[in-house]
Amino acid sequence: MPIEFIKPGTLPGEIVKTVRNASGVFITSTGMRDAAQSDFKNRHRIYDLKTLAPHYDRMGLFSAECHGGARWHVGVMNRRESPFEEIDILRQLMPNVMLQTLIRETNLWGYRPYPRNVIEYVVSRVDIDVWRCFSFLNDVRNMRTVAEVVMRRGRLFQPAISFTQADWTTNEYYLGVVRDMVDLCGGVNEIILCIKDMAGVGSPKRIGSLVDAIKQAYPELVIQYHRHATDGLAMPALLAAAQAGAKILDAQEDSMTRFYGQAPILGLHAYLEESGIPVNIDRAEAEQAVQKARGWIGHYEWAESPFKGYDHTVTEHRMPGGAFPSSFEQAANGGFLHLMPAILQVMSLYNRIIRYFDVTPGSQITWVTCSGIVNRYDKERGVAGVKHVIDLLSRFVVEKNGEFEAMDKADQDELLGLFKTAPGDFKNLLLGGYGRLPMGWPPEWVYRSAFGEEWQAKLAGRKETSPLESVEEDNLDRLRLTLGEALCREPSQDEFILYLMHPKDAVEMIDFREKYGDAPLHLPTNVWREGLKRVGDKVEFDLRGKPYTIELLSIGGEHDGVIHVVIRMNNNTRVYEVQTPRAKKSEIRMAKGAGQIPAAINGNIWRIGNPERGAIKIGDIVHKGEEIANLEAMKMENTIVAPFDGQIVEVCVKLNETVQEGQLLFIIEQVAADKTKAPVSDLEEPVQ
Amino acid sequence: MKKEIRSLLVANRGVPAVRIMHTCRDRKISTIAVYSTPDRLSHHVFMADKAVHIGEAPPAESYLNMDRLIRAAKDTGADAVHPGWGFLAENEEFAQRVIDAGLVWVGPSPDVIRMMGDKIEAKIIAGRANVPTIPGISNVDDPDRIRQWMRDEGVTFPIIIKASAGGGGKGMVKVEEDSQMSQAVAQARSEAKKAFGDDKLLVEKYIERGRHIEVQIVADEHGNVVHLFERECTLQRRNQKIIEEAPSPTLDDNLRQEICFTAVRLMREIGYSTAGTVEFIFDAHARRFYFLEVNTRLQVEHGITELITGLDIVGIMLDVSMGKRLPFNQSDIRPNRWALEVRLNAEDPKTFSPSFGTITRLQIPQGPGVRISSGAYEGADIPPYYDSLFMLLMSAGADREDAIRVMDRSLSRNLRVEGVKTLAPLLLSIIRHPAFISGEVSTRFIEEHMDELISRFRESTSEDDVLKIARYVAEISALGPQKWM
Repeated sequence: MPIEFIKPGTLPGEIVKTVRNASGVFITSTGMRDAAQSDFKNRHRIYDLKTLAPHYDRMGLFSAECHGGARWHVGVMNRRESPFEEIDILRQLMPNVMLQTLIRETNLWGYRPYPRNVIEYVVSRVDIDVWRCFSFLNDVRNMRTVAEVVMRRGRLFQPAISFTQADWTTNEYYLGVVRDMVDLCGGVNEIILCIKDMAGVGSPKRIGSLVDAIKQAYPELVIQYHRHATDGLAMPALLAAAQAGAKILDAQEDSMTRFYGQAPILGLHAYLEESGIPVNIDRAEAEQAVQKARGWIGHYEWAESPFKGYDHTVTEHRMPGGAFPSSFEQAANGGFLHLMPAILQVMSLYNRIIRYFDVTPGSQITWVTCSGIVNRYDKERGVAGVKHVIDLLSRFVVEKNGEFEAMDKADQDELLGLFKTAPGDFKNLLLGGYGRLPMGWPPEWVYRSAFGEEWQAKLAGRKETSPLESVEEDNLDRLRLTLGEALCREPSQDEFILYLMHPKDAVEMIDFREKYGDAPLHLPTNVWREGLKRVGDKVEFDLRGKPYTIELLSIGGEHDGVIHVVIRMNNNTRVYEVQTPRAKKSEIRMAKGAGQIPAAINGNIWRIGNPERGAIKIGDIVHKGEEIANLEAMKMENTIVAPFDGQIVEVCVKLNETVQEGQLLFIIEQVAADKTKAPVSDLEEPVQ
Repeated sequence: MKKEIRSLLVANRGVPAVRIMHTCRDRKISTIAVYSTPDRLSHHVFMADKAVHIGEAPPAESYLNMDRLIRAAKDTGADAVHPGWGFLAENEEFAQRVIDAGLVWVGPSPDVIRMMGDKIEAKIIAGRANVPTIPGISNVDDPDRIRQWMRDEGVTFPIIIKASAGGGGKGMVKVEEDSQMSQAVAQARSEAKKAFGDDKLLVEKYIERGRHIEVQIVADEHGNVVHLFERECTLQRRNQKIIEEAPSPTLDDNLRQEICFTAVRLMREIGYSTAGTVEFIFDAHARRFYFLEVNTRLQVEHGITELITGLDIVGIMLDVSMGKRLPFNQSDIRPNRWALEVRLNAEDPKTFSPSFGTITRLQIPQGPGVRISSGAYEGADIPPYYDSLFMLLMSAGADREDAIRVMDRSLSRNLRVEGVKTLAPLLLSIIRHPAFISGEVSTRFIEEHMDELISRFRESTSEDDVLKIARYVAEISALGPQKWM
C-alpha cells in the first residue's frame, strides 16, 4: 500500500475523508511531546527532538504531537525554550507533517480558566494544524470557544473525551458526551474524535466496546485512540480499538518507551500488520527515527521517574501518565516518598466520592487534595493515622456504599473534617468554577467538610454555567503594558502569549534568554546540563551561518563565592567571573512600577531633597514635579522629581551613595491610592 | 623664534592627551603626562615618555590643580604646557601662571582667553568687528517698545522674551506672532517677578531650528590669520555635540566664504594666535548667521578639519607657540574631502546614563578612510570622575555620501566595545536616518526623534549572541546542573 501524506494546509473535510477512506490505520507520533511528558518530566529538548523531524517528514504520520499539555510550561520554566521557536524549527524541518497540540478547553496551556477573549486571542495566533482539546469534566460546553476559533481558521478540531474505567463511565454516558461534541461541531465531517485514555486504564474489551458503540451511533465519525501504557495492556487495547474501527492510533519511538507513555511504534506496526490491519507508515523511516532517539535518550536518564515499572493498580488510583514522574518527584522533594502507596490508595477511594477525570487540572486537584490528607494524618498520628484514614474511607466507600447517613456519628464527624484543608482549586471545583461535574455535584457533606459553617452560602453561589460564561474578560491592552513594563520594552506577540499562560515564568524565561541568548537551542544536552567538564573539552555549533567553537581552558578555585572560568571562543580567550550560591549578595533593589522612583542614570546621590525645603524624610508630602533628589555623574547634575503628588513612604538610599541606573531611590504613595489589578498568577505545578 | 619646545607637559588626560602626544612623537618632542590616582594605568600615561602623579580623583585635586601641574612641568624640565580641551584649557589664570613660570603656553594669550570668556564682552567685541550677533534689547517691559525695536532693527518673528535676572528657562516665553505679544510679555513679567523678584525683561531674536556652524582659525604672532574652513556640529544631545562634519552640508560657497572671512575678521581684531574656533548659529530659513562665541582652544572635533585639509593643527599650535610664522597663506588651503566624526562616549545610548567600568574588549575600526583618536585601551578602566568620551571615530571620503558609508562600516562592522555601554547604536541609527543623510537636521533633532532612533537600533550581532551562549557554558561548567533544570 502506498503511504498517504496529509500535509499541513489540508482542509478539515479533506483530512477526515482521507482517513475515513483509508484501508488501514494512521499513526500520530507522540515522540515530541507525550513521550517526554510521561516518562521524562517533559525535559526532551528541541535540540534533540529535531533530529527526528527529517524522518517524520518522510514517514507518513497522521500528525506529530509536539506541542501543548505541560510541554509549554516546562519549556518556559525548565528547558527555557519557547513553544513558538519549536514550531518554527519543526515547520522548517518537516513541512509535510501536521503539527498537533493538546489543549485544555478553558485552561488552554495554563492552569486557570481563561475568559473568552484570551482564548480567542491565543488560539487564533498559534500555528498548529491539529487541535486536540479535552475537558477533565467532559463538559463539552467549555469547548465552544476553542472549537469555534479553530474551525473558523480551517484547522482540524479534535474534541477528546476524557476516558476512565469506572462503574459510572458507561457507553451510554460517553455517547452523551460524543453527541454534545458532534452537535457543537456541526456534524461528523470536519472533526476527528479522540478517546483520551490518559491513565492507560481501558481494558481491550472495554475499549473495543466503546469504539464499537460510537461507530454504531456515528458510522461516519473518525475515531483516534490515545492511550498510555501504564496498566501493561496498551498493545491489545490498541488492536481492539483498531478492530472496532478506530482509524488513528497514538504511538512513540520504541527507544523512548518506558512505562507511562504510548506504545512503541515499531512493535505496534508489527502487531497490527500481523493482525491484518495495514498501518500507514514507512517502516524504514520509523526505524531510523527510533535509532536517532536512541542516540540521545541517554542524556535524559536524570529526568526519569524514580518509580519504575508498569502498574496495573492504575485502574484504581487512575493517576495519568504524565503525573507519574512529577508526583513522585514532588513526593521525593517533599520528603514523603514513603507515603506514595497510601496516597495512591486514598486517590482510588477519593475518586469514588467525587467523580471527574484525572487529567489536568483534575489530576492536580486529586493529587494535592489526597496527598494533603495523607500528609496531615501522617503528621498528626503517624503510620497509624494513615492506616486509620484509609480504613475510614474504605468503610465509607466500600462497605457503606458512600452513604453518609449510614456512617456512625464519630465517622461522620471525621469525614466532615476531611476536606477542611483542601486546596482552593478543590473548593473552586465544588462551586462550579471549572464547569459541571460529569455525574452531578458531590453530596452535601462534602460541602460541609470543605466550607465549614459557610457551606450553605457557598453552595448558593455555585455556578451551573460554563466558566466561559462567567469568567470576566481580561484587559489585554493593560496586560500587554504590564509585560512591557516588566521587560522594559515592547513585547512580541509570542512573548505576550507566553505571558498570558504563565505570567511569572514567562518573564523569567525572557530575562534568561536576554542574558544567555539562544543557548537552549544550540547547546547539546550534555553541555546544556553539565557544561564542559574537562580542560580542552569543546562545543561547536553554527550561529547565523557562521561557525563557532567554545573551548574550556580552565576553571579556577572558588574565592569569596566567585569562580573564574577561562574559555576560548573562536580562539579568543575570555575570562568569566561566575558567582556561586555562596557569593555575597549585595542586593540592589530596582524600582518597579508606579510609586517607585528609580535613579535615571548611574551616579552619586549628592542631595536628597532640594535647596528650598532641605532634606526629605519619610512621611513628607511631595508635589508633582518637585525635586526630591539630585544625582551627579560625570560632571552633570540630574534632577529626580516626584512623578505625582504623594507621600514619601520610604527613602531607599543614603546621601552620597553610588547608585545604578534603575535603582530604587524612593517609594511614594499617591494620596488617593489607585489600586491596579494584580496580574494573574500561576496556580500549580504542571502535570498531565 | 621665542623658544624651542623639546619637552612638553600635557595638562590633560584621555583622548586629548593622547592626541597631542601623537604629534609630539612626530616632532620628537618628549612628552610628560600627568595623572590622578584612578588614572594611574591610563592610556595617556603610557603614551608619554614620563608621567607625574598630580593628585586624587576629583578634578579640583588633580587636573584642575594649577600648583601641581606647574610644579610637575618644572620638576620634569618641560619647556611648554599644552592644556588640551576641557579642564584648564580656557582658564586665563592658568595660562598666565604657565607663562610666569617661564614655560611656553600652547594657546592664545591670557588676555584673549579672558575677553572671549566673558560672553557679554565677547558679543560687544564681535559687534565692533562687524560680526553679526543675535539682535536683542534689554530692560523692556512694554510690548510697543518691543515692536518699535523690531521695526528699527528689522527683526522678524519668532522672538524670545527672557527675564533679565534669570536663567534656567524660568520667565522664558517664545512669541510666534504679534497677536501673542501682550499676553507673552505679561506672562514673562509675572514669571520673572515670581522667580527672581525682578520683572525686567530682555528680548532676542529666536533662531528656529538653528544649525551650529563653526570656523576653525589658525593664527600666528605675526598677524597672520587663516581659516581652515568650517565644521557643522548641529547634532547635539543635552547641548553636547556628538556628531560633527566638515564641510557643512548647509552652506553654499558664498555663505561659506562670508562666514569664514567673518571669523577671520573677528580673530584678527582680537589678536588671536595658535588655534581657535568661532562658533555661529545659522538660521537656515533666513540664510543668516549670528555669532555665538569663540572657543580659545583646540577643539574635540579639530580632527575632521585635519582630514579635509591634510594639516596637523596641534603641530601648527606648537610651531606658532615657538614664534614661527604660519607656513601657508589662505589661498594654500584647499580642502578636497568630506569628513565625519562621531563621539564614542561611555554612555547608555538610550538614556545617556554614564557607563563606567572596565573596557573588557576593544576592537577598533580599520580599513580605508578611517581615523581613530582613542583615549583608552582594551582592559582600561573608565573612571566615573571625568568626561565619558573615550574615543573619536572619524571617516573621510571624496564626498559626503562616501564619508557616511565609511562611518557606517566602522560603526556597524568593525567596532566592538565590551564592558561599558557606548553611544555607538545611537550614532549608527542617526547616520542612517534619512534626515541626516539629506542634511536636514537641527540642534533639537536627537531629542525630537529619540524614540524613532532607538527603534532603529540594530539587532545584536552573532558575536553578541554567541557570547551569551559562552557565558552560559562558563557558568554551568563551573556550577554544574542547576536546580531549575
